[in-house]
Amino acid sequence: MSLSTLTKPWEAMSYGFLDGSAKRELRRKMLKSVAVPGCQMPYASREVPMARGWGTGGLQVSLTLVNLQTRVKVIDQGADDSVNAASIRRFIARVAGTPTTMDTLEADLIQSRHRIPEEILREDQVLVLQVPNPEPLRSVQPNMSIARQMHADADYGRMWLQLYEQIVRSGRVMQGASYPSLVHGRHVMTPSPIPRWDVPKLHMAKHLTILSAGREKRIFVVPPFTRVEPLVFSDVPYKVEEHGALTCTRSGTTGFFMNEIPQDDGTSSFEISDSEWGVKTIRARDGEGENRGETWYKDGEMPQ
Amino acid sequence: MAYVATRGGERAIEQSERLFREEMGPFDRERVVEVKKSLPYLIDRVMGEASLYDEDLAALALAQTGGELYEAVLLLRAWRTTQPRLQVAAPIEQDCLFTHRRISAAFKDIPGGQVLGPTLDYAHRILATDVLQGETYAPKPVEPANKPSPAYQPSVSAWQAENDLLDPPAEDPTKGNDIPDLTREPLLFPSKRAHTLQSLARAETGGVLALGYAAMRGFGQAHPTVNELRLAEAEIAVTHPDGRQFSAGRVKVSQAEVVDKKDEQLGIGYAATFGWNEVKCIAAATLDLNSPGAEKGSPTEEEFFLYHTEGVESSGFCIHFKLPHYVTFQSSLDAMRDAKAKKEAGAPKQQEPAE
Repeated sequence: MSLSTLTKPWEAMSYGFLDGSAKRELRRKMLKSVAVPGCQMPYASREVPMARGWGTGGLQVSLTLVNLQTRVKVIDQGADDSVNAASIRRFIARVAGTPTTMDTLEADLIQSRHRIPEEILREDQVLVLQVPNPEPLRSVQPNMSIARQMHADADYGRMWLQLYEQIVRSGRVMQGASYPSLVHGRHVMTPSPIPRWDVPKLHMAKHLTILSAGREKRIFVVPPFTRVEPLVFSDVPYKVEEHGALTCTRSGTTGFFMNEIPQDDGTSSFEISDSEWGVKTIRARDGEGENRGETWYKDGEMPQ
Repeated sequence: MAYVATRGGERAIEQSERLFREEMGPFDRERVVEVKKSLPYLIDRVMGEASLYDEDLAALALAQTGGELYEAVLLLRAWRTTQPRLQVAAPIEQDCLFTHRRISAAFKDIPGGQVLGPTLDYAHRILATDVLQGETYAPKPVEPANKPSPAYQPSVSAWQAENDLLDPPAEDPTKGNDIPDLTREPLLFPSKRAHTLQSLARAETGGVLALGYAAMRGFGQAHPTVNELRLAEAEIAVTHPDGRQFSAGRVKVSQAEVVDKKDEQLGIGYAATFGWNEVKCIAAATLDLNSPGAEKGSPTEEEFFLYHTEGVESSGFCIHFKLPHYVTFQSSLDAMRDAKAKKEAGAPKQQEPAE
C-alpha cells in the first residue's frame, strides 16, 4: 500500500466543487431537517468560492442536489438578472454543468434570495432559500446557545411578547420581512427575509423548501404539505404588504409584489418584483404566446 | 421586438472583475516567489487565518488578490476545504518544538534561558527612506553566539506545575480522526476544547486583537502575564500505510501561554497558530485566559469572541450589505407607512385631555 492508493488522482476540482465528504454531510443534515420540520440543524458549512453572506448556504445545498440534468434558476430580490444571482447561476453551471433557466415552470431547482416566485411550485421542484440569519429569536436572544435551548423547550414567550409590544407601541406588528412562523405546530422559524407576501406560499405547499445559512452554519426545511403559520394573535390578523392593487408600469401586470421606484416628481412608480413573471406578461401581451403558470395570488389576494 | 430581461448584470460583473485585476496586471510564478521571499510575516498571517500551511499557495493567493487579505484568506480556505484529509499528524509536545525564539515575562530567567531570536521589538522604527533614493537596504549579518541556545526547551508552565503553582490541563487521550475538527463540524457551545483552540488559531488577527485588547484594558477579569511566548518549527510526524513513522517536514508555529493569579493557583490561557504571529497569539491566549466563567454575551465569553473573530464569516457578512436589499426594505416601508397612517387616523383621540 502507498499513500497514492488512499486517494484519487489529483483533480483541480470535484464535480460541483464540494468534495464527497461535504456533500455527504449535507445530505444527512437535509434528511434530518426534513424529518424535523423547521428545526435548525447545525452543519459544518464549508467555504465556497464566494464570500460568506452572499448565498454560500444556499449554494452548498444547490451544489449537493444538482446533477447534469437539473435545470437551475437563480433569483435575487425576485430578479434573474440581479448581479449576484447572475454570479451564482454562472458558478453552478460552471462547476456542475447544469442547464439554466429563468422560467419558474421549467426549473427543477430554484435558488433564491428574499423572494418566492409568484407562480405555484410543483411537487417535483425544490426551492432553496438563502438565509442570512437562521435564528428567529435573535432579536430577543442574541446568544445562539441559549436560543437553541429555547427552541428545545418551545419557549417562545419572548417572541410573542415582542410582537405584542409592537402592537401596543405602533398599532400593528412591525416585522417587515422574515416574519416568524410556526412550522408543523412545533418549531418557530424565520422564513428567511422574504416579504410577508410570500410566507403564505409556504403553507401546505407542494414543493420542498430548503433554507440554508452558510455563514451561521444552520439548515432547516419546510417539507411538502407542511403547516407554516405566521405568529399572530387571534384578534390581530396577519397582514401582507398592501401590493394587491398595484400595477407594474412596465408589464401592466396587477396583483403581485412590486418594487417601488421613486420618481423625480416625488411620486413612486411600481415594477413587478418577479422579473420573469413580468417578461411572460409582456410576451403574452405582445402576442408571443402564453406560458404563464397558475399563481398563488389571484387578483391580488391569497385564496384561503 | 420582444421584451427580454436585461442581461446587463452578467457583463457588468465580468467587467468589474477585469477592472480590479487590471491594476495587478499579468503575473507569473516569479511574482509569487518574490511575494513569498519578501513578505514572510504576511505569508504567516495568511497561513494562520486560512488554517492551511503552504507558503507557495499563500503567496499565490496574495498575488492573485493584490494583497486584499480577506479575499486571499477566502481563496485559501475555499481551496483547503476541498482537499482530502489523508492523515492526522502525531501530537507535538512543547519540548519537542525546534525553538527560534522563546521569552517569558514572568521570570527574569527560566530553565533553558530566554532566547530573543528574531524580533523587531527593540528596533528603532525609522523608515528607511534612503531606499527610495536608490540606496540598497543591506541588513548587517548576524553574529553567531559563542554558545548556541538549546533548540529544544521545556515549557515554563511545566515548571510551574511541578512547583504546584498551576494545575495543568488534564491530558486529552483523543487521537487521530477522533480529534474534533472545526473545518468538518459546526461550532457549538459550550465549545469543545479542540474547537476553541482551532477557532482561535484561524481567527482574524485584527478581530482577536480588538477583543483581546478590550480584555487587557479592563473589560476582562484577568490580567495577562506572558508566561511564555514561543516561535518555533514543529516536525510533522505522520504514519506511512506500512506502519513506519516519518517526517513530512517542519512547519513554523507560534504559541503563547499567558497566566493570571486565580486564588492560590495560576489560571492559564493558551493559543497557537500556524506561522509566526506573536500579536495574535498573545491576544488569543488572553481571551482564552478570560473565558472561564465569563458572562454570556460579554466580549470574553467564548461564544462571543469565537463567532466574532471568524474573519471569513465577519468580512463576508460585512460586505454582503452591498447587495440589493430592496425587497426587505419595501416590506419595512409598508409596515412603517401603515403604522404612521394608523397613528394619524387616531391622532385626534390623543389630543383629548387625559382622565
